[in-house]
Amino acid sequence: MSSADALSVRVFPRLYRDSVTLMALAASAQKADGVVRVGAVMATPANLAILAEAGMLPEGLAASPDDLIISVRATDETAADAALDVAEAGLSAQDAGTGERVEVLPQTLAEGLAVDATCTVAAVSTPGTYAPVVVEQALRRGLHVFCFSDNVSVADEVRLKRMAAERNLLLMGPDCGTAILDGTPLGFANAVRPGPIAMIAASGTGAQEVSCLLDAAGAGVSQIIGVGGRDLSEDVGGLTTNVALDLVLADPGTEVVVLVSKPASPAVADALLARLGSVGRPVVACLLGLEDSDGAVTVRGTLEGGAAAAASAVGLELATTSGTPEPPPATLSARGVVGLYTGGTLASEAKVILGRADVAAEILDLGDDKYTAGRPHPMIDPSARAEHVEAAGSRADVGLLLVDLVIGHGAAADPATPLADAVRAARAAAERDGRTLVVVGSVCGTAADPQGIDGQRAILREAGVLLFASNAAAVRYAVACASQPPGSQADRQEELS
Amino acid sequence: MIAGGVRVLNVGLPLIVDGVDPDAVVQLDWRPPAFGDADAARLMASLDTERTAEANDRAVTAMHAVRPQLTSIRPAREVVPGLAEGRLLLHAGPPIEVERMCGPMLGALMGAAVFEGWAADGDQARALLESGEIAVAPCHHHQAVGPMAGVVAPSMPVVVVEDGGRQAFASLNEGLGKVLRFGAYDDEVITRLRWMREVLGPVLDAALRRSGPIDITSLVAQALMMGDEGHNRNVAATSLFARRLGPAIAVEESGTEVLGFLAGNDHFMLNVSMAAAKLATDAAVGIADSTVVTAMSRNGVEFGLRVAGTGEQWFTAPVGPADGLFFPGYSIEDANPDLGDSAITETLGVGGFAMAASPAITQFVGGTPDDALATTRSMRRITVRPHPAYSIPSLNFTGTPSGIDVLKVLDTGVLPVINTGIAHRLAGIGQIGAGIVTAPPEVFQQAVRGLADRRSTV
Repeated sequence: MSSADALSVRVFPRLYRDSVTLMALAASAQKADGVVRVGAVMATPANLAILAEAGMLPEGLAASPDDLIISVRATDETAADAALDVAEAGLSAQDAGTGERVEVLPQTLAEGLAVDATCTVAAVSTPGTYAPVVVEQALRRGLHVFCFSDNVSVADEVRLKRMAAERNLLLMGPDCGTAILDGTPLGFANAVRPGPIAMIAASGTGAQEVSCLLDAAGAGVSQIIGVGGRDLSEDVGGLTTNVALDLVLADPGTEVVVLVSKPASPAVADALLARLGSVGRPVVACLLGLEDSDGAVTVRGTLEGGAAAAASAVGLELATTSGTPEPPPATLSARGVVGLYTGGTLASEAKVILGRADVAAEILDLGDDKYTAGRPHPMIDPSARAEHVEAAGSRADVGLLLVDLVIGHGAAADPATPLADAVRAARAAAERDGRTLVVVGSVCGTAADPQGIDGQRAILREAGVLLFASNAAAVRYAVACASQPPGSQADRQEELS
Repeated sequence: MIAGGVRVLNVGLPLIVDGVDPDAVVQLDWRPPAFGDADAARLMASLDTERTAEANDRAVTAMHAVRPQLTSIRPAREVVPGLAEGRLLLHAGPPIEVERMCGPMLGALMGAAVFEGWAADGDQARALLESGEIAVAPCHHHQAVGPMAGVVAPSMPVVVVEDGGRQAFASLNEGLGKVLRFGAYDDEVITRLRWMREVLGPVLDAALRRSGPIDITSLVAQALMMGDEGHNRNVAATSLFARRLGPAIAVEESGTEVLGFLAGNDHFMLNVSMAAAKLATDAAVGIADSTVVTAMSRNGVEFGLRVAGTGEQWFTAPVGPADGLFFPGYSIEDANPDLGDSAITETLGVGGFAMAASPAITQFVGGTPDDALATTRSMRRITVRPHPAYSIPSLNFTGTPSGIDVLKVLDTGVLPVINTGIAHRLAGIGQIGAGIVTAPPEVFQQAVRGLADRRSTV
């Protein structure tokens, strides 16, 4: 054996404990200092043989099979006795259990449905690698799917959307940011009033802007069905858009249908417009960048134009201001126009309007993968954009900065304050260089949103942001400014005062 | 528009359901499935169909319908297919070449060769095994199972369980200490094996004939009510067996000897219930499209898994030693990698799956009956449905979880819990402890690939 030289044994006559209890007892007593080995057994012949084999059975020990033996080998007698005391105390351990059961949270779709079989929609925001797995599981269980996850291949998207279409289920996404289904918002959505207008949207912030403009006009939405940015591409072919159309056309609460998308594949758009033209109720196709036209389907190339057409279909008009009168065009101290957007479709709309006016500008969608890499979307974490805004203040070539601010469910709790701080810093930096930076924008949201549009607007105004009723109005203002002949610093200050 | 109203199962970020009435949301504590193997996860989702569910229902129904009867105890060569002629020894686990075998298994095979009279000593036995003059094959390939090394030789007596014309077999349990199944083969071991062949087997066989077949399902069910879990604790089942057969044994010549042997071996019934579990799980072998596990087994080097829909194919992965509690004088350093066919009990739904039935051995899973209950409940997450015969009080008389579904294991990331004895890594020392092992994830990842291959070729 070892250098250990103390072997102490205690016999507990006619005391029974199960062998597993005794092994656990021995394992815990063995942890004490100076203890080499502990054996705790019922004194059956077989167990005594095991103890003897391990050198832990004193010669001539008298014990019967009904007796319990604890044997300790330790470096000295004190340690051995201490270990025996610990083991003996363990024989009469008090119940420390609370009797409470820990409920296991459901981890899988199947387990979630076992908790509540009435679920009808699965919202999926897992890493993209696993999103197709979860989406397939949900579809096979008859659930509609809101898939926020991105980084899903086109092949998976097509396969899963076919599977959904066969089952008459909605697969919203992948990369779907916004939906309002029967009044329930999912992802980034605003607290808009209920009403007769259904939106089918391949663009999340596009749907938010149109629904908020409608809300301000007094018009409400029945549904917003996001379909994912690629739904109207050649590959996907509008699979979800068509299922969504079936559903909204059967929805008694829907009178007007609005389609919102960034530029679509011409073939897919043509097929869709052909179907939309014969649905027997007003349809507005808000397809960014297309020429406006009025036929069986009202086609609009901007979000604001689409919202106006939809409002008009229910006899309403869009609001023209954000609460303060629009200022006259400013004279810019530099020609450069920069747009720093968090809403991708708002950025696209800005490009369309600037392009139509032939005004060159630098418009960035900071929600794009190339800017987010490893960080949350700027609608969730506004600090990402703040850095860009501050940097713009030091650029001598920039005279006007365009921004958006998207609020609502899912967005940051107070996105206006970090933007306002960044605008102040940018304007101060420009000021130090003897320039003036004009900052122009709009807030996409409603009074009923958790952040409240009025408070968010006030914060931005206080930082000197000129606010407009819509992104389109803000961009038009930028166009007007950029179209002014360049003026002196004095002229410009006069106009702003 | 959404039939049934919008009620959301949220898989991922809570902010997605920021605006939804909390009463209409079930938030999942989602984890990446399939132990992080995205391809296996995709196959899992693709196989999760109505067709699979129906096949699994058939598989489990077939397993649960089997009522194994212990009818006789016969020399293996008379009853086990393939052992009538030639020199073949059976062993536990998936197939393995003699060169790769662990110490206890090789020792047991050498001992069996000496016992059969094919070799004069261990060295000669080893040479015959290595040259292939003595062939080896898994018990599972011969309708048999064996604990630890699981060695079955032609002249050994085996228990015969049968139902509806099908049979399954297992060796007789030798007790603890120096025994063949832990690789010991000295004179003491060989002498005991001879006694088992000459006395134990024939006496038990005669007693069985006198008293009539024993329904093993009922006996195990009763033992679960008495604190056995059916794998690591068999004292209740063995007592019931001895009590049931006692009067018929007592009248046999040498009956007292046999009763004395049963009184000294808490685990005698383990082998019998293993044979019964094998007969039950075999009923599901080859049920097309089923993802239910039909065998889990270890050969001391690899863990093997069989699944109903892939028939007799093995999915294997390296296996480590069980962590657990050790007899005085031993520790994990002495432990052999996990060994034996006894996980067939968990495959049916007892053993680790019935921890809640056995307060006495809860130390293996944390120490309290609450922990044991939690272990059994967690096995519900990976099984098809409770075993109707094995209802236990602490589960409010629900049955133990039964029918391990490969897809559920991958989806939940919960691995089957297996109670096991721990063998010393050197042949012949014997059992040194007991504990818990989980099946390795790799066998389930392989199984889903095998199942998907099978599906796509149909």
